Amino acid sequence: MSRSAVARTAYIQGAIACLPLSLAVAPWGLLAGSMAIEANLTPLEGQGLSAIVFAGAAQLVAIGMLKGGANLFSILLTTLLLTSQHLLYGLSMRPVIADLPLRWRLGLGFLLTDEFFALTSQYDRQQFNRWYALGVGLTFYIAWNLFTLAGIVLGRNIPHLDQLGLDFSIVATFVALIAPLVRNLATVVCVAVALFSSVLFSYWHWETALVLAGLLGMSAGFICQKLTGART
Amino acid sequence: MIMLLIVAMGLLVFLNRYAFLEPRLPLRLSSNARQFLGFAVPGMLTAICGPIVFMPDHQLDLSLANPYLLGAIVAVVLVLWTRSVLLSMLLSMGLFFVLRWWLNGAP
Repeated sequence: MSRSAVARTAYIQGAIACLPLSLAVAPWGLLAGSMAIEANLTPLEGQGLSAIVFAGAAQLVAIGMLKGGANLFSILLTTLLLTSQHLLYGLSMRPVIADLPLRWRLGLGFLLTDEFFALTSQYDRQQFNRWYALGVGLTFYIAWNLFTLAGIVLGRNIPHLDQLGLDFSIVATFVALIAPLVRNLATVVCVAVALFSSVLFSYWHWETALVLAGLLGMSAGFICQKLTGART
Repeated sequence: MIMLLIVAMGLLVFLNRYAFLEPRLPLRLSSNARQFLGFAVPGMLTAICGPIVFMPDHQLDLSLANPYLLGAIVAVVLVLWTRSVLLSMLLSMGLFFVLRWWLNGAP
């Protein structure tokens, strides 16, 4: 096979691997689009959030804050804190992405979402394929923007889409990604600590609840792995 | 004005995503750091789900009449049992909306 044929095959494999997650993000995308309309953003602004920011949780929180009349600085600070888990994803993907040419780093960096990370982070330097990763990331980007568009159109016609519990789709997706990973004590500890502390910190209304809880869970899992002799 | 905010948000999120992908950043990951980062998927994704499941409408709800909690438990069982990500996502979402309608009387 020629090099471009190999690249195309890898790209298509990545796109196919991402299809289930791209479909499952539908309710979440509908929510992002319809909430923007309900907060009196224009359709262009609603779509712009998904096209430029491309981070569901941050978009929904920013829309909520705009609706509540928050100032721009506090919205930006919240965005920075809410998406700080991406620093961790970048750090984790550094060994496979940092050596790529600039346009690949910029492109894959822009596409680095929770879902992208979940699907591509298990590959080491030999196995990692940039075209596969691009297939995953672009498919998810297109799906996210199409579902946002659908949400914008529907939100203008059907009121109160935000009270349907559409956010459960994110739980269904992430649970399906996490549960098969829980195969040893260290991961059980990691998940348990992350779960407990995320609920506790959110109950205390900490802005940094999610990333702190995630770090705490990761630390607990890591310490447990060290103590049990790093058997995986 | 809002468009300006959106572009600024986009820049911040991109900075978070790109920062450690920059090769000129002098940084080498030790084997301990790599092991720690190996817990990023279960740790972070769980932390994102926690408040959605246990605090619907920003109120703590630990009862089994909480459709988010029941739905999440069913999703765990389904994915471990069927080993299919897509099937368990679809079934648990379907069940969640039935439960919600049944428990809360919401549409």
